[in-house]
Amino acid sequence: MSTQLDQPELLVPLIEEVIHHACTGIAPDVRVLLEAAAKREENDTARSVLLTMLENARLAYEQDKPACQSPGFPCVYVTYGGKTRLPDLREVFGTAMRRCTEAGYLRPSMVHPLTRKNSGDNTGPGVPNFELDFRPELDYADFVVSFKACGAELVNGVKVFTAATLGPNLAGLKKYVLDLVIKGRGIPCPPVGIGIGIGGQIDVAARLSRRAISTREWTYAHPDPEIARLEEELLEAVNALGVGPGGTGGRTTALAVKIMMSYTHTAIAPVAVNFHCWVGRRAGVRIYEDGRVERLFWRGQHDCPHTS
Amino acid sequence: MSTYKLNIPLTEAAVRELRCGDLVYLSGRVYTARDMAHLRARKLLGEGQPLPPGLGREGSALFHAGPVAVRSGDGWTLSVIGPTTSMRMEPHADLLPLLGVRAVIGKGGMGRTTRRVLRDWGAVYLAAAPGCAVKHASAVCAVHGVHWLDLGMPEAVWMYDVQSWGPLIVAMDSTGASIYDRVAARAKRVERRLVNGWLSL
Repeated sequence: MSTQLDQPELLVPLIEEVIHHACTGIAPDVRVLLEAAAKREENDTARSVLLTMLENARLAYEQDKPACQSPGFPCVYVTYGGKTRLPDLREVFGTAMRRCTEAGYLRPSMVHPLTRKNSGDNTGPGVPNFELDFRPELDYADFVVSFKACGAELVNGVKVFTAATLGPNLAGLKKYVLDLVIKGRGIPCPPVGIGIGIGGQIDVAARLSRRAISTREWTYAHPDPEIARLEEELLEAVNALGVGPGGTGGRTTALAVKIMMSYTHTAIAPVAVNFHCWVGRRAGVRIYEDGRVERLFWRGQHDCPHTS
Repeated sequence: MSTYKLNIPLTEAAVRELRCGDLVYLSGRVYTARDMAHLRARKLLGEGQPLPPGLGREGSALFHAGPVAVRSGDGWTLSVIGPTTSMRMEPHADLLPLLGVRAVIGKGGMGRTTRRVLRDWGAVYLAAAPGCAVKHASAVCAVHGVHWLDLGMPEAVWMYDVQSWGPLIVAMDSTGASIYDRVAARAKRVERRLVNGWLSL
């Protein structure tokens, strides 16, 4: 059966819609956490910053504008099944990105890493980045577009631990995360989401860390209770530090800690810590083999109130 | 904690009154500069060449930011604009007196060199709510022009007027105080307590 995947004239506008939706607001899960944090926050200045963030997300929706001036670096997470024939992803997403840039929804921000020359239309080698996940049993293909901003990127870290340096009760690992949060101050645009990738070698840990915070719902606990407990413990510890929204103090420093894990070699325990700003811009579509389309991380009426 | 409404150009006396935690609303001409604009300004100053009009004006307000700008007729409108990470401009702290800057606006705070320059020269660092580009753009009333567009839209120098832009938080003042340092010192103490707890379980 023919689906959007075989018809670029249908797929490109659909992906444009996804990109537009992603960058003109924050995902529903992030919004829920931000609202809850604003209610809990005791520091007056911090609470007013959190309310400004919520107001900004609402204004972006009402005025149909990018929620943040920086689109960050785009990454597309593709999960696809055994019968899926993927289209030319670079062509489809390249075209959609260029159109959204021309329309003023994405600031042209992609540059040559050394000459710093801006391509002017958010295109360039490796843009967007694609992360592919093949699952033979699926009867659909997911495309989740994530715009993760880059102030957060400045304070990321990777460390190869050992059995000894992980420490008793994982104290070494936990201290490493807290050190990065403290050193990061207001740089990653707190309240942050923290993605932690554990396992493999450093490239695997780094990819898992970005995937964890970009594709997992920030409101859902990890299915493995041990990992879920570690996420919870780290979230509580980070929020005890008092860094606060924007780094100017308060109890709301992180909204979520999300971990992804793979096995590693007996000699090492690589850990990558990946910060995400509060502006959780991601959205996606699921295209079934029978042509049905579902939207992912999509704001409904409830998530876009017309009044403050 | 007080709230101030200030007009640009800012006087040294006015910014020396501000203390960490105060809130500020700014009105007047603002310009943006990020990494590349600072590098170019430094190069021109080093060669004794003139800067574009508006840069180097005493009492100015420098915004670490790059807008989403949209062409409208012969000019531009700023669709949205918000702060970028100020720490990247830490190596350029020495330019502030040379550029006549009395207020730096950005996000995330700056380091030790900037703290010293703010104290000795008489200037402040104001924190703008991060990621709130639509909100910040609502204070923009006119775009005056853009310099160095060859650097790309984010890195160019955008000159525009704001009306009652704020609240901006005084996060580093002219006495050498920094909210970020205070917050980090406290966080370190909390971290020590937490780590000791994990080690003694």
